[in-house]
Amino acid sequence: MTAAAIELRNLNKSFGLAKIIQDVNLEITKGERHAIIGPNGAGKSTLFNLITGKYAPTTGQVLLHGQDVSGKKPFEINRMGLSRSFQITNIFHKMTVFENVRCGLLWSMGYKYNFWTMVNGQRELTRRTDEILEQINLTKRRDMLAGALAYAEQRALEIGITIAGGADIIMLDEPCAGMSHSETDLIVDLIRKVTEEKTLVVVEHDMGVIFDLADRISVLVYGEIIETDTPERVRASKAVQEAYLGTTLEEEAS
Amino acid sequence: MSTPSTNPLTAGTSRLVPLNHALPWIIAAVALFLLPVIFDSRAALTIMNQMAITIVFALAYNMLLGQGGMLSFGHAVYMGLGGFFSMHVLNWMSDDPWLPLPVLPIFGGFFGLLFAFLIGWFSTRRAGTTFAMISLGVGQLVASLSIIIVIFFGGEEGISGNRTDMLPFFGWDFGQQQEVYYLTAVWLLIAALGMYLYSRTPMGRLANAVRDNEERAEFLGYSQRNVRWISFCASGFFAGIAGALFAINFEILTEENLNLATSGSILLVTFLGGVGFFIGPIIGAIVFTLLQTVLSLHTEIWALYVGILFVATVMFFPFGLTGLLALHVMPWKLGKIGYLVKPYAKMAVPTLAFILSTAAVLEILFHARHAGRGDNEMTIYWWLTFDSHSPLPMIIGLVIAGVSAYALVKLAPGLKAAWDEATHMGEAGK
Repeated sequence: MTAAAIELRNLNKSFGLAKIIQDVNLEITKGERHAIIGPNGAGKSTLFNLITGKYAPTTGQVLLHGQDVSGKKPFEINRMGLSRSFQITNIFHKMTVFENVRCGLLWSMGYKYNFWTMVNGQRELTRRTDEILEQINLTKRRDMLAGALAYAEQRALEIGITIAGGADIIMLDEPCAGMSHSETDLIVDLIRKVTEEKTLVVVEHDMGVIFDLADRISVLVYGEIIETDTPERVRASKAVQEAYLGTTLEEEAS
Repeated sequence: MSTPSTNPLTAGTSRLVPLNHALPWIIAAVALFLLPVIFDSRAALTIMNQMAITIVFALAYNMLLGQGGMLSFGHAVYMGLGGFFSMHVLNWMSDDPWLPLPVLPIFGGFFGLLFAFLIGWFSTRRAGTTFAMISLGVGQLVASLSIIIVIFFGGEEGISGNRTDMLPFFGWDFGQQQEVYYLTAVWLLIAALGMYLYSRTPMGRLANAVRDNEERAEFLGYSQRNVRWISFCASGFFAGIAGALFAINFEILTEENLNLATSGSILLVTFLGGVGFFIGPIIGAIVFTLLQTVLSLHTEIWALYVGILFVATVMFFPFGLTGLLALHVMPWKLGKIGYLVKPYAKMAVPTLAFILSTAAVLEILFHARHAGRGDNEMTIYWWLTFDSHSPLPMIIGLVIAGVSAYALVKLAPGLKAAWDEATHMGEAGK
């Protein structure tokens, strides 16, 4: 009865003659934590960019909650309840941590292109911003410039901005890239906490994170999904193991 | 704000307008009111009016450059068009006036807004180089049109009007320069306050967000193009107000008000003052107008000095004159501003000597090349008279410049050490 949160139908993307994404079909149900894995250059980021509207598909469709969003602009897709983070930290460097998160809240709280109310006087806006800062453990850094944060804190802020708008589909592009083990543990806990009852799509290289977090995993190789299944079955899959050229997922996960 | 303030003096007052926010505005208003009492000559009033107009224009320009990250090479278009339309409104009303002069800037603002809306529709689709190039093209286009469409722009002579033609305003007919000053000053306050408040609305903050990272803003639900377009319209509105104030003050508008030179100079003014600060353009406009008016009374090559100042600012103080001042906030807060007094005092004399001797060399060169045949005598700095064709003054000038430059280079490490000390958080000498 309810449509899938995200549905991809025969999705293709080419850049010139290079076919980066080929005939991808995928359904991600509401509330699912879905991971996309695959070797470098498999097209994971491109797939991400297709879903979030950064690229328009060459052919095929992207559906959000049953609605066709292919070719829509990122801001239109965001307004339909999808929010994403970036592999390369993508924050507002010259604004404070507080303002970064507040920017994530403005549209969803109905401010739109408002130029007649003082933003500092909005108590509810400030309260919710502070609430998110609390969630991502950056309350102490509230008034610092975002560009001056440590790397791990910037990654947390990135997630904070992403979830601020209250989107029900959260897409995280390598949230743990470049982090130490302890930092990774913290960020995984954070992701679990802030995406409760939401649909999560995550691209990640750290297999430990993937098998820990995901309900289902899609394996993308050369632009095609060769397997979509539960972590256990993906781990056991012959095709997947071959795709990773001998290194079994067991080894990478350990 | 919901977080309780730790400072007992400000706790609980957040809903009222805090005094420390209103104070600069009150000081500004009082200063604007008192200035013509202190400087009451006609020339001073003209300079102050021009300053006020440049401040409004520069603040409007900085809504694009500083707040929105849009580098425009053609923003004089909106000020100029606002001015031309205001002048036409003024002339149209002159036979049968039904509005007083002080409302004229509203017309200027709306025509600036209208053209910003139309041109912004296509120019704000992309930021960066694309935007800059379109602004340059549109700037050239409108400036050329102003020569061609004589009936509207008046050709080379431009169009003129008489501000006293409109209805008197509480007995003021604005024939007096001082009355015009107060009109301009009040509009300066209104426009500056308007732009300041705008920067603190959601739109103002989003302009910053799109400036810093347009892609991220898109993924937060905002169309980068719309954010830029709205900023552009707001900037055009305030530029149009500046144009109307120009029309009121000078009673004439020509192609010069629209052309690329004017567009370029407002970029210079804004950058000189510092694009990263709200008061940057204000300081830039004051300094620039002073240089332009006062310096030009004393030397023909004033533009060269302004150019050198601009290049030096871009190279050494990319955050402008305001940025230079802002650097001192940190030592001030640490209570270490005193550390800088001595090195600054040490450098004052060589700095002054370097500037004056370099300027003297430039003036001698200029005089020797451009003064009439047989006119060899020149005077600099009011009392120094000599023969510009003899090598001695030139040699003296070069020697002083060389020695003072050498002294500055020698003193620089001392200043740097003092600076490091003054911005260091720990105890002195540790």
